Amino acid sequence: MAQEIISVDRLCKSYAGVDALRDVSFSLAAGEIRAICGENGAGKSTFVKLLMGITQPDSGSISIDGRVRTIVGPQRAQGLGLGFVAQELSLAPRLSILDNIWLGSADVPLIHRRPRFRARAQEAMELLGIGDWDLDRPVATLTIGQQQLVEIARLLARQARVLILDEPTATLTDAEIERILGVLKLVKARGHSIIYISHRLGEVFELCDSVSVFRNGEHVATKPVGEITRDGLIELMLGRSFGEMYPSVPAHRQAGNAVVVEGLNVPDAVYDFSLTAPSGKILCIAGQIGSGASMVIRALAGLVYGATGRVIVNGRPMRLGAVPHCVSRNVLFLSEDRAAEGIFHRMKVLDNLVATSLGAHALLGVLNWPSLGRFAARLADRVGIDRQRLRAYAGNLSGGNQQKLLFGRAVERSEPGIMLMNDPTRGIDVGARADIYLLMRKLCALGYSLIMTSSDLEEVVGIADIVVTMYRGRAVARYEREGIDMASIMVDITHPTPRSKAVA
Amino acid sequence: MTEPLARWPSRIHVRAMPENWRRLVGAPRNRLPAIRAVFILLLGILALTTPGFLSKPSILSLLTTVSFIGCVAVGMTLITISGNIMSFCLGAIVGASAMIFIAAVNWGGVAFGFVAALVSGAVLDAAQGFAIGWARANPIMISIAMLALIYGVVEAVGADGTVYAQAGVSYGMFKGDVAGIPIEFVTFLCVTAIGQLILSFTVFGRNVYMVGGSIRAVDAIGVRTWRTVSGAYLWAGLFSALAGIMLSIRYGSASMDYGVGYDYEAVAAVLVGGTLIKGGEGSILRTLGGVMIIAIIQVVLLLRGLRQEWQYLISGLIVLAVIILHTRGTRD
Amino acid sequence: MMKKFLRNDPHVRPIGILAACILLLSLADWGQGRFLSMATAFSTFEIFATVGPVALGLGMTMMIREFDLSVIGMFSMAGCIAVLTGAQHPWVGIAFALAAGLAAGIVQGFIIVRLRLGSVGVTLGGLLVLVGGASVLTENRSIPYGNMQVALDLAAQLAGVFSVRSLVALVPFIAAAVVMAVTRVGRDIVAIGSDRRAAMIAGVNVEAQIVGIFAFSGVCAALSGALLSYSLASASVVGISVIIVPAAAAAILGGVSLSGGTGRPLGIAVGVLILAVLSTGFNAVGAPPYANDVAMGAILAVVAMLDAPHLMRRLSWRSR
Repeated sequence: MAQEIISVDRLCKSYAGVDALRDVSFSLAAGEIRAICGENGAGKSTFVKLLMGITQPDSGSISIDGRVRTIVGPQRAQGLGLGFVAQELSLAPRLSILDNIWLGSADVPLIHRRPRFRARAQEAMELLGIGDWDLDRPVATLTIGQQQLVEIARLLARQARVLILDEPTATLTDAEIERILGVLKLVKARGHSIIYISHRLGEVFELCDSVSVFRNGEHVATKPVGEITRDGLIELMLGRSFGEMYPSVPAHRQAGNAVVVEGLNVPDAVYDFSLTAPSGKILCIAGQIGSGASMVIRALAGLVYGATGRVIVNGRPMRLGAVPHCVSRNVLFLSEDRAAEGIFHRMKVLDNLVATSLGAHALLGVLNWPSLGRFAARLADRVGIDRQRLRAYAGNLSGGNQQKLLFGRAVERSEPGIMLMNDPTRGIDVGARADIYLLMRKLCALGYSLIMTSSDLEEVVGIADIVVTMYRGRAVARYEREGIDMASIMVDITHPTPRSKAVA
Repeated sequence: MTEPLARWPSRIHVRAMPENWRRLVGAPRNRLPAIRAVFILLLGILALTTPGFLSKPSILSLLTTVSFIGCVAVGMTLITISGNIMSFCLGAIVGASAMIFIAAVNWGGVAFGFVAALVSGAVLDAAQGFAIGWARANPIMISIAMLALIYGVVEAVGADGTVYAQAGVSYGMFKGDVAGIPIEFVTFLCVTAIGQLILSFTVFGRNVYMVGGSIRAVDAIGVRTWRTVSGAYLWAGLFSALAGIMLSIRYGSASMDYGVGYDYEAVAAVLVGGTLIKGGEGSILRTLGGVMIIAIIQVVLLLRGLRQEWQYLISGLIVLAVIILHTRGTRD
Repeated sequence: MMKKFLRNDPHVRPIGILAACILLLSLADWGQGRFLSMATAFSTFEIFATVGPVALGLGMTMMIREFDLSVIGMFSMAGCIAVLTGAQHPWVGIAFALAAGLAAGIVQGFIIVRLRLGSVGVTLGGLLVLVGGASVLTENRSIPYGNMQVALDLAAQLAGVFSVRSLVALVPFIAAAVVMAVTRVGRDIVAIGSDRRAAMIAGVNVEAQIVGIFAFSGVCAALSGALLSYSLASASVVGISVIIVPAAAAAILGGVSLSGGTGRPLGIAVGVLILAVLSTGFNAVGAPPYANDVAMGAILAVVAMLDAPHLMRRLSWRSR
C-alpha cells in the first residue's frame, strides 16, 4: 500500500457564519494523481487554502507524512513539501522569471541571486521543456499559458512532493495543454503526488488515478477513475441528476431581435464579433478564459473604452464605451465579480436593491423614502429575497442571495431590458443556482433578453436557448436549442478546426 | 464528548487557542455601542466634576471654538465617506476664503463678501473633486498640490500678512448671539443639519455612499462618479469657506494662520465620531459627536491645568483607540 | 523617449524633470552665475539633508501601497529627543532619536498588520500623538541645544558642496538602493507592492516586511529630524504642512507610483533634488518667495494628473 503523504481529519472552516467546509476528511498517497471536482462554492478552494496555510481551520487536523502539523503559512507548507499553483496566478509581474521562481522560498539567503539557485531553476525549466527561456525576462512579457508553466517550474525547483493545481488548463492553448499533461505524467512517474482541481472532466479521466468530489462544503466521495462514469461524476457533483437543475423551457415563440451586434472589436481581445439575440431567450457565449467572451459582455455593457462596432438595441443604435448611455437603454450588467463590482457591502440590502432606481423615486433630487421602501420590498419579493433581510447588510448575505440582489436591481424597469451577465452562478451553491435559473426564465417570460457567459459547460448546455462559441477572440459557431451539443461546443472552444460556419 | 458541540449553531467557532489578536482587541459590532456609551458617560462625569466647566464663559468659548473646526469636519466627512480618505487643503481654504471675504467686504459690502468667499472655496475644492472623480487622480496628492498652490498664490498676490476689515462695517445679524447661543454655533448646527439631510435624503447623498463603498460597482451601474465626487468636494469647500467667513467676522481680520492644523483636527473628529476612513459609511451626526467629544476633552484638560499642547497628543491617542476598537473580528 | 517620460518610467522621468529644472533655472539666471555656483549646490544639498530621508521613508511605504503620515510627526519628535538627551554626548541623542523612530515604526506597523487596518488612519493617529508629544516637550517654544560645536561640525563643508549632515543623509538612500537591488528583501518589496496576495501565496512573509518598512521610515524621519535640530542648535515643532508637501512631492516626482510597486530609492533622491534645486534656484536668481510654492504645487498637480489611471482613457474617448 502506497504511503500516505497527506491525511486530513474532520476539517471545518466557516467564514462569517457561513460554513465553507464541514467535517472534511481526505487522504492522498505518494505518486497518486487525485482530481478534486465540485461546483463553484463547493469548498475546493477553501480546502486548498487550509492545506497551504493561507488560512487556518476552525477545527480538525492536517497530517503530513503521518504527523499532525500546524501549517501557519505558505512558507511552512512549502517546507513540508506542498506546492500550489492558484487559478489567479501568483507571479509578481515586474520581477524576472528567476526571481519569481524563488520568491518567498525559505531556502534563499539574503543576497539572493546565487548560481546554485539559478542552476536549480534552470533544471526545473528544462524538465518542463522550456529550458530555452531567458531566466531574467520579466514575467509580465509572458502569455498566461507561459506564466502557468513558470508557476509549475517554481514548484519543481522547490522540490514540492505534492503539487496542487487549481484549474491549470483553463487558459491554455491545445499545445500547452498537451505539454502540461505530459509533464504531469512525467512528474508522477518521478514519485510526486498531484492534486488536480478541474472542471474539465475529459482531462480528469485522462490524467488522474482517482477523483474526490466536494459538494456544499463536504467531501462526498472518492472513487478510482475506473469505477465511475462521467454522468455519475456529474451527479455526485450536483447532488441531483442533471435534468432536474434546469427549468423547462416554454414553447418556442417567435420574437424580434433585441440585440444586434456587428463587427465588435476590442483591441487584443475580440475581433470582428457579431451576434443577434432575440428577446425572451437566453443566449450563452461559451469560451474559455482568454477567448474574449467576457470582454464581449463588458464591451456591450459600455465598460470597455476601446471597443468599436455597431450595436443596435431594440431597434435603436447604442454607443459603446459609456455606461450611463447603456443603462439608459435598459442594457444592464452583472459582473462576474460581485464582491468588487456589484455589491455595496456596507450598505443595507434595501439600499443595494434601489441603487439603480434612485432617480425614479426622487423629486428634484430629494428621495421619497416611503416609496423607495415599498419598491424595494416588491423587488425583494420578485427575486426571492426574504423581506426580513432588507435591513441586513448586503455583505453578510450568502453568494446566492447577493446574486439575487443584483438581479433584483434589473427587474421592474420601464421596458424589458437586456441583461448582460458574466458567469452569473460563480461561487453559488446548488440550491441557489436552481433559484437563479428560475429567475432567469421568469425574466425571459417578461420579454427580457439575456446574454451571458459561463465557464461551466454543463450549465451552458442546460440553460441556454442559443449558444455562440468563441475561440481566441473570434466567434466560431452558433447553435440553436435543438442543436446544442456539448461535444461540439467543447471542440469549438478548445481547438476549432478551420471551417466556416454561419454565426450570426 | 463532541456531541454537544455538533449541535451548536455554526456561528460559534470552536477555537483551540485565541490565535487571532483581532478578536481579542477588536470589539465585535454588537459591543461597540455599549463601549461608546460607557466612554461618553465617563467623559460626562469627568466634565461635570471639573471646576469651571459649567460656567457661562467656558461653555460659550467651547461652543465657539467647536464651530469653526466643526464646519470643516462636516465637509471632511463628505470627502471621507466618498472614499477619498481626507483632504489636506481644507485648512488653507479656510484661511484663503477668510482673506477673500475681508477683501471683498472692504471692496463691495458684506453680501458681496459672502458670495465671493463661498464661491471661491467651493470652486477651489470642486476643481480637485473633478480631477479626482474624472481622471481618478490620487486624492491625497491632489489636495497636497492644491495646498501648495493656495499658499503660493496668496503669497504672490501679496496678501500673506493680515488683512483687516474696514472700520464701521456692519455685519448685521451675523455677529453676536441668537438667544444666548453664539451665532457661530448656530451656523455650525445648521451646517450639520444640511450635511446630514443631504446624505440621508438626496440622490446625491446616496451616490456619495456608493462611490465610497465600491467605485467599480458604481461604474458598472452607470452613475456618473465625477459628478458625485466633485459635489462632495464642492460642499466641503463651501463649508470650509463658511468657517473662514465666521472667523473673519469674529476677529475682524483674516490671515493664512486661520485654518492651520484644521485638516488634522477635522479628520480626527471624523474618525473619533465613528466614520471609517475607507469610506462607504458614516454620517454627519457621528462627526458632530466626534467634534464635541474632542472639544470637551480639550476644555476639560485645559481647566484641569494641562497646557494646550496636550490637545494634539490626547486627540491622537483617542483616534488610535477608536480606530483599533473599530476592527471587526470577522474579516479573514 | 517621450512616451517613457509620460508613462512614468521611474528611470527616465525623474532625471528628465531634474534636467529641465536645472536648464530653466540656468536660463533664468542669464549667465549671472548666481545659480550655477558652489553656494547653490551646497544649499541644495542642505535642503536634501532635511527633506530627503523623510521623503525616502514615505516613498518606501508608498511603494507597498501604504502611506506613512507619521513621518512628519517623527521628524519633530526626533529633534526634541535628540536635543533633550544629547546635551552631553551628541551620539547618545542620535541613538535615542533613532530608537524612538524605530519603535514608533514597529508599533504602527504591528497595529496595521495584525489588526488589518489601513495605514492612513493608524499613521494619522501616530502623527497626532508624535506632534502632540513634541508640542508638550517643547511647550510650543523651541528647546535650545547647548553643544554648538556639533552644529558647526555638521555644517562643515566637504568638497565645497556637501556637509557632514548631507553626507549622512545620503546613507539611508544608499542602504535602501543596495537592499532593493541585491537582496531578497528588495525583491519581496517589489512583489508586495505589485500584488500583495500573490506574494503571500508564494511564501513571502508579507507581515514582517510591512512592519520592517514602517520601521525603516520611522528611522529615516528620526535621523533627519535629529540632525536638523543639531545643526540649528534648537528643536521645535515643525508645521505639518511644511514637511508633507515636499516629502510627498519628492516621492511622486521620484517615480513612486501611487498604485504601488514602482519606484527606486535613487529615483526618490532625484525627486528630492528636484525640489531642492527649485528652492535654491529660485532663491538664487532672485525670484519672489512664492515661486517655490507655486512651482511645487503645479508640478505635483501635473504629475498627479499624468499618473491618474483614467486620464488617457478620458482624453482618447473625447477625441472619438
